[in-house]
Amino acid sequence: MNNSVSINSLSFTYHGHEKPALKNICGEIPEGAFIGLIGNGEAGKSTLCCAMNGLVPRFFRGNYSGSLTVGGKDPSKCKVAEMSKTVGLVLQDFEAQLFSTNVELETAFGPENLGLSRVEIGQRITRHLAFVGLEGMRHRDSSTLSGGQKQRLAICSVLAMESPVLVMDEPTTDLDPKGREQILSISRRLKAHNRTLIIADNDPENLIKADRLWLMREGELIACNSPREILTNKSLLDACGVMALPTIALFHAMGWQGNPLTVEDAIELIQKHNLVPRRRQISPRGQKDTRSNNPVLETRGLSYCYPSAKSNSLQDVNISINDGEFLAILGQNGSGKTTLAKHFNGLLKPRSGEMLVNGRPTTTYRHHELARTVGYVFQNPDHQIFAPTVYEEVSFGLRMLGEDHHSIERHVAHALSVTGLEGYENRSPFLLAKGDRQRVVVASVLAVKPKVIILDEPTTGLDYRHQRDAMDLLKELNRQGHTIIVITHAMWIAETYCRRTVVMKDGRIIADGDTRAVFADAARLSEAALCPSPLARLSNWLGTESLTVEDMVRELAL
Amino acid sequence: MNLSFYQDENTWLHRLDPRTKTIGVAIVFAICLCFNHPLYTAGIMLAVLLTALSARVLPLFRRMRFILALLILFSSILWPFFAKGPTILWQWSVLTVSRESLLFGIAMGIRLATFVMAGVILLGTTKNEEITNGLIKMGLPYPVAFALSTALRLVPTFAGAGATIVQAQISRGLDLESKNIFSRFGKLIPLAVPMFITAIRYTNLLAMALESRGFSPDGLRTLYCEPKMKRQDWIILFSLSAILAIFLYLRLALSIGVVMPGRM
Repeated sequence: MNNSVSINSLSFTYHGHEKPALKNICGEIPEGAFIGLIGNGEAGKSTLCCAMNGLVPRFFRGNYSGSLTVGGKDPSKCKVAEMSKTVGLVLQDFEAQLFSTNVELETAFGPENLGLSRVEIGQRITRHLAFVGLEGMRHRDSSTLSGGQKQRLAICSVLAMESPVLVMDEPTTDLDPKGREQILSISRRLKAHNRTLIIADNDPENLIKADRLWLMREGELIACNSPREILTNKSLLDACGVMALPTIALFHAMGWQGNPLTVEDAIELIQKHNLVPRRRQISPRGQKDTRSNNPVLETRGLSYCYPSAKSNSLQDVNISINDGEFLAILGQNGSGKTTLAKHFNGLLKPRSGEMLVNGRPTTTYRHHELARTVGYVFQNPDHQIFAPTVYEEVSFGLRMLGEDHHSIERHVAHALSVTGLEGYENRSPFLLAKGDRQRVVVASVLAVKPKVIILDEPTTGLDYRHQRDAMDLLKELNRQGHTIIVITHAMWIAETYCRRTVVMKDGRIIADGDTRAVFADAARLSEAALCPSPLARLSNWLGTESLTVEDMVRELAL
Repeated sequence: MNLSFYQDENTWLHRLDPRTKTIGVAIVFAICLCFNHPLYTAGIMLAVLLTALSARVLPLFRRMRFILALLILFSSILWPFFAKGPTILWQWSVLTVSRESLLFGIAMGIRLATFVMAGVILLGTTKNEEITNGLIKMGLPYPVAFALSTALRLVPTFAGAGATIVQAQISRGLDLESKNIFSRFGKLIPLAVPMFITAIRYTNLLAMALESRGFSPDGLRTLYCEPKMKRQDWIILFSLSAILAIFLYLRLALSIGVVMPGRM
């Protein structure tokens, strides 16, 4: 069989950086293979993806050595536009990739550039929209699609160029479980079309079906083997900062034989070897009565409608949140999570009903008064970082509130130490890594010591290790008495960290209660296009209370 | 939040060739310049409003009502101090306001608002790609046409990012509610810096995405929705030109619709 990609001691250092992003990569990818690139945030996966179509080194300049051949062409010597006939690249950020007015024209853009006939373009649009399951959306404005649909459109627009090699850089981050499943199903079906597929991801669960996994660390290719070989080598994964599959982690910790890659395999093994008896099924308990006499945040019949929208974005929401809670808000894009959270700190005012903070309607507060009680960390740190130094950035809120010099110094020092940013005071926040920028933003909200901290997708764009760090930080803040509200797509984060979970759909709350109980009710979750993480599914099947590997080991040992 | 201008309808204006609409808007701009009497400019504005009504883009005007109102208001307040007319209404040291200058100011405000409205009708009824293709068909080089239409298309995107940035900074205690305009000015930095950073990052990603999908400025390219001039297009262009010609005649030969002779 021919090799579609061959790499020979490829190294690359970005212009102005000292550490190489790729170090001496060697490897071959046969035609029609499905390769998974796995590794943490600094592993060099994205750089390798961009090297495939020549963005590295033609768009990102730097020191390039070694050789790379893709479909017989050398990407470093061809124009990116020329390479696009051979390699299709789906970038990580799908929002910026969609620039056309509607779905049809988005898909047409690539084939138009290839100079195909209008009839052929029309046929390709029909064919590929059907392939990714967007056939009914042909004339929709792409900005009105859900996150999963946008990502499928981004893939479709690259598929329509019908290049023999397809590269996707973290195609499933930022997606809810259902959206993710649809992307994975696309990648599985592509295999049947004999296209060479390269997918970079930091979650091994998404790459189980790959023919081979390339494990990367700090720009080096550490191992290259079948998923089973690599994913069962827990110590190797740990060394590379990649999350081990929870099923395998559980089997290792319990000392059970076998390495199940999926929940189904795990259940089969448990039954076959009679490893542990199933317990009494936990029944999803009814809605917990969370009303107390003195909630920090409370909504009463809250409804909201965006000025240009036709229907309500929030519909009769009743929720009350007590001091010291750790709460997750789950739901699809557009289900109203962010709209609800923006009511909590008064950015939006209810159309009807009431939003009470400490028992007082938000309409009677001024914005900066509310900032003292309810802090809000936005999804993208770049939307708020502006100061030349970390110290100025973190002290901004305090200065705005007119604190005196000494208390500013004290509070900033505390916020920096809690977020692990001591020593960063005089660094420029713009030059920090994404995970650290996220910390700066959290610190800047924390500095004013709000009772409640709301975080919108705090783990987006972070790799597994940094996700854990970020969430451990929130856990510590919660222990110190802050009420934490997290909006997230990642089920494991809600399961591992949050005591209470709220599920939203179409502007309504469809489940609200103890996290374990909410995740026991898979049917209710699937209504909101969600599904429990593999470990929670296994726990549901076993009838155990735990939602983390450590807890489960403890519970099963009893 | 949907911030793009394009209104997905199928009215007679949506069906027109993008070239007709682009040239048509240019002619409407010229028509607006014919008169400086507020009654006449108001008449033109009314015609534009009726066109917008039939093209179902009035929701866009509602969205922009503050900008439109501000244009008229500021122009009506500021112009009278700069334009001089014979009938003095009010005088204080060097500042004078005359009847003519007041009317002229109102006319200028209406004219500016009409400019904006006509442009918004074009954007609301024409897909971005159609504008690009129309410009190409009119002989503009592809990179120039693409850059122009992309700039138009990025306005709502950046407006959306701007709204998020304002919210993010308010959440951190930025006080935009205080009335003092000078202290407000200093508060622009926390908004402007993230705006620049976001814009730079976004355009960088956009450039990557475009190149990855085979965008090449010199390449031969198929136009998937190729504009075609139909009978209606010629009728519209002819009627608009005729109106312009008549108005020019009224203004230049008969001096109708003028409060300030010698000014546009």
